Amino acid sequence: MTKAILIDTTRCTACHGCQVACKQWNDLPAEETHNEGSYQNPIRLSAQTWTLVQMREVEYQGKLYWSFLKRQCMQCLHPACVSACPVGAMHRTPEGIVVYDDSRCIGCRYCMTACPFRIPRFEWDKPLGYIRKCHFCYDRQAEGLPPACVKTCPSGALQFGEREEMIATAEARLKAQPSRYYPHLYGKEEGGGTSVLILSALPFDLLGLPTLTSEPVAVPQSALAPFEYLGQPTLGTEPVTQLNDELAHVGTPAIALGVTAILAGMQWYGRRRARLAQEATGHAHTTKERKP
Amino acid sequence: MTNHWVDLKNSDCVLAIGCNPAENHPASMAWINRARDERGAKLLVVDPRLTRTAAVADLYAPLRPGTDIAFVGGLIHYILENNLFHREYLVHYTNASFLVHPDFKGPADLDGYFSGYDPAKRAYDRTTWAYQLDEQGNPKADPTLESPQCVFQILKRHYARYTPEMVERVCGTPRDQFLALAAEYAKTGQPGKAGAVLYAMGQTQHTVGSQNVRVLAILQLLLGNIGLPGGGVNALRGESNVQGSTDMGLLYHTLTSYLATPTAAAHPSLKAYLERQVKAAGKGYSKNTPNFLISLLKAYWGDAATEANDYCYDYLPKVSGDCSWISLFHAIEAGTIQGLWLIGQNPAVSGPNSRFERQALGKLKWMVIHELFETETAAFWKAPGVDPATVQTEVFLLPAADALEKAGSIVTSGRLIQWRPQVAARPELAQEDIWILDRIYRALKKRYQAEGGALPEPIVQLAWDYGDPPAATAVAKEINGFYTRDVKDASATAAKGDLLSTFAQLRADGSTACGAWVYAGYYYPRDDGTGVILPSCMRRGTKDPGGLGIYPYWGWVWPANRRIIYNRCSADSQGRPWAKDKALIWWDGSKWTGYDVPDFGVTTDPAKPGGDDAFIMHPDLKAALFSGLNEGPLPEHYEPVESPARNLLSGVQSNPVVKLWDAARGQPIGDNLGDLSQFPIVATTFRVTEHWQAGAMSRNLPWLVEVQPEMFVEMSPELAREKGIASGQTVIVRSARGEIRAVAVITRRYRTLRLWDAASNGFREVHQVGMPWHFGWAGLATGASANDLTPHVGDGNTMIPEYKAFLVDIRRA
Repeated sequence: MTKAILIDTTRCTACHGCQVACKQWNDLPAEETHNEGSYQNPIRLSAQTWTLVQMREVEYQGKLYWSFLKRQCMQCLHPACVSACPVGAMHRTPEGIVVYDDSRCIGCRYCMTACPFRIPRFEWDKPLGYIRKCHFCYDRQAEGLPPACVKTCPSGALQFGEREEMIATAEARLKAQPSRYYPHLYGKEEGGGTSVLILSALPFDLLGLPTLTSEPVAVPQSALAPFEYLGQPTLGTEPVTQLNDELAHVGTPAIALGVTAILAGMQWYGRRRARLAQEATGHAHTTKERKP
Repeated sequence: MTNHWVDLKNSDCVLAIGCNPAENHPASMAWINRARDERGAKLLVVDPRLTRTAAVADLYAPLRPGTDIAFVGGLIHYILENNLFHREYLVHYTNASFLVHPDFKGPADLDGYFSGYDPAKRAYDRTTWAYQLDEQGNPKADPTLESPQCVFQILKRHYARYTPEMVERVCGTPRDQFLALAAEYAKTGQPGKAGAVLYAMGQTQHTVGSQNVRVLAILQLLLGNIGLPGGGVNALRGESNVQGSTDMGLLYHTLTSYLATPTAAAHPSLKAYLERQVKAAGKGYSKNTPNFLISLLKAYWGDAATEANDYCYDYLPKVSGDCSWISLFHAIEAGTIQGLWLIGQNPAVSGPNSRFERQALGKLKWMVIHELFETETAAFWKAPGVDPATVQTEVFLLPAADALEKAGSIVTSGRLIQWRPQVAARPELAQEDIWILDRIYRALKKRYQAEGGALPEPIVQLAWDYGDPPAATAVAKEINGFYTRDVKDASATAAKGDLLSTFAQLRADGSTACGAWVYAGYYYPRDDGTGVILPSCMRRGTKDPGGLGIYPYWGWVWPANRRIIYNRCSADSQGRPWAKDKALIWWDGSKWTGYDVPDFGVTTDPAKPGGDDAFIMHPDLKAALFSGLNEGPLPEHYEPVESPARNLLSGVQSNPVVKLWDAARGQPIGDNLGDLSQFPIVATTFRVTEHWQAGAMSRNLPWLVEVQPEMFVEMSPELAREKGIASGQTVIVRSARGEIRAVAVITRRYRTLRLWDAASNGFREVHQVGMPWHFGWAGLATGASANDLTPHVGDGNTMIPEYKAFLVDIRRA
């Protein structure tokens, strides 16, 4: 029921059609940019740039690759941003699209910290800014249309359909032409699975995507982590929200009970001291009598 | 293209050389990717730098700009040495077996020259390039291909020097990379396999540009790749309708449909023209030139064109020299040409040696320019650094409608003509080009009729009535062709005004008019496959019998809706398709049938004499491995005019027939050429996906400007280190013609070349850089124009400028 995009980077030639189509469909303004020594522009996602083509020159197995990867919200099945959002501005629709509600957003930016892919971006140029990110063209999907980026892609690098169907397509390709691909479908299980699935000729860490291990990591990133596509946290296969869930379901009661117990203990100890002091002096000790 | 875009999906191997389809024709990757997915096809790329096409290639080989003949000659050498050529194809369909004049000599014998060179004229006498003829006047042939004087053996001797070692020394391509690519592409020589060659300006924009394309044709003929699905020699045209524009004769040396422009010397009369052209046509279909030319004259002058006045042939301007781009700008500079009429063109940015050309514009008395934006050319008189008070040119800027704001047809690289309606409203004052030209014509005609003039008749007597306002559909009918009077005879019955359905209906007696003979039938009403009848180029029928991507009901392809030309070659000498899974046409015992329109007599029996004369446009009905162009009958490597190396193939440094212009030589702005001592770095120019041509349309669009905001120059990390340049820094690039500022993009995709240095008898390192040429001072995104650096020299046959290989130096700003 959830739709997904399959990005086959071996077919992508960085034409930037997807980048421009997204701007056009969503009426996003062009940013002022400079050539900083690369064809990649804008360099980073922002509140005005919801997708971009990351272009990296990578050496792998003795060969120079010019790798291209469309970066955007990964549309996680168990989104960390949704879990972190205290007011439910970030939420997942019944169709499985991760969207945000401006009317609820309080600008706390917890979602930015929580996302392991560093996707949500803030409107820093506004006094009361909102969070912005790819919303999977939910408006187009509601009309039975594919996202604008998929529609525009001329080379067949982007495909759109039911998630199960996209997984099957990807795995068929891995099987049919194994020498063409790194043998893994990224997003099938990472972080509990995402609706953006990626095939690549290169290992995914060389593309700046979080590497998977089977070990969970307690906290994805510190608040000081850079918001770029450099060195990413390691994640297990359990949903990222599970890390928060554990804290919530186990930690909160534990802390509540623990603090209650300590406070209760201090109460008991304080009262006992007062009672013992009263018994010793014959006076009631009240806090009123204790002058600073 | 001999084939077409969709056909790429049928290829077993695509070789992209001197082109960059992923960046400049992104949609083509859909078809190339289909071939990779469905047939396991390989994509091979040869380019000075690792482009976005090379990024997805199976094999990439770097080469020095301007050394394509050395590289492809190396492929030819490899194929001949290892017997990987398609022998049956060569014997039946090409001139491989023809015997050449006994006195013919080539560069291997004459240290770089062919026999017949006249150094004073810088031209060849082609007498010794002729075939040996028998008593009937037909070329003598040796089908065993063993006679020393047959074309095949001459070819073998000619390319014997083009070894993998030579390729490494001249092109800078590492030997193992060259051999891997050669081995992969040569597999397409097997019968049943097809390799497609894609090329574009990286091949043509050189002083040996025509021979660059010839060497690709020879490669494909040796492998038997012409005329098959998934094969072909395929030019990737650079604008959405440049194919249409050359079809309509916008180049000075052709009339419409590539009929020769009459010259004063050779074609003083209609009789002289027809005699000469029919003789040159030999047995080829162009022997029907009288039908084509007279029908064209009837289209131009209508009822005024009669047999008695040679159909107004004398009204056609006769050319008396070279009138190509570089010549035009020299004439402007010299004051010979006083007015310039530009329709959607921006020479201030796109012309070679553009400082020279911009300066020349100031010599004009007047300029009329149809444009969407006020470009660097339209506003040349107020460019940065120009004082308008010093410019005497009167400039008329006419706002024009863009492609979506008017109805009409465009033609793709694959010769597909598609009619498009108007889909967007025009800005208030903008007009279609045909409206502007129609208004100008009517005003001129009125003045000539009222006041007379030097030669009014060619203007006043034009058959010019396309409606008011003029309709593109009316022009289309004239291009398609129609009967000028009722006709009833053995070959046709038709009424005056009936549209032609095929060029076979064209006549030389004035009873037909046709604006472009290869388009005859493109507007004729036909079924779109679902029963709906439309002018053929308006059809969008999606049926594809055979599944080869022919789509015969979608639009109309010239000529005759034939999608793959020379398709007789897709079958063997008995008429059986080489590739059973890609059978295109075949002989069924009484006729040729199949999924494409046969490029052959439909009832011509393959087993009978003439049954394998597949190349019906050629004088000998065979494809020409050996064929005379101005600098020779076989492609030979010569260095670009500005070169970093001595020519290792022979003692002739650069193309010996190229004209060396010398206006204002030695002046700050002039026809200056540089050498290695001052300019040690090899440079080339290229295009990027995000910008288009001289940039008016793309550098004014914020979303495109965001992606590619500034002029840049790409270079290797080694060169950057040598010059102390960091990525993103501004640098100055300088040639003998000027200097420009650009942002440095430092990338490993550009390698330092290792070239053989004869003087030191070893390899030496030569750096190279590349720049996009889209930028100019006008618009939202501005920057320096790369063409300030390019030289004013052109190809030996066409004068196309050598934009792709020249010398520069570079320093931090």
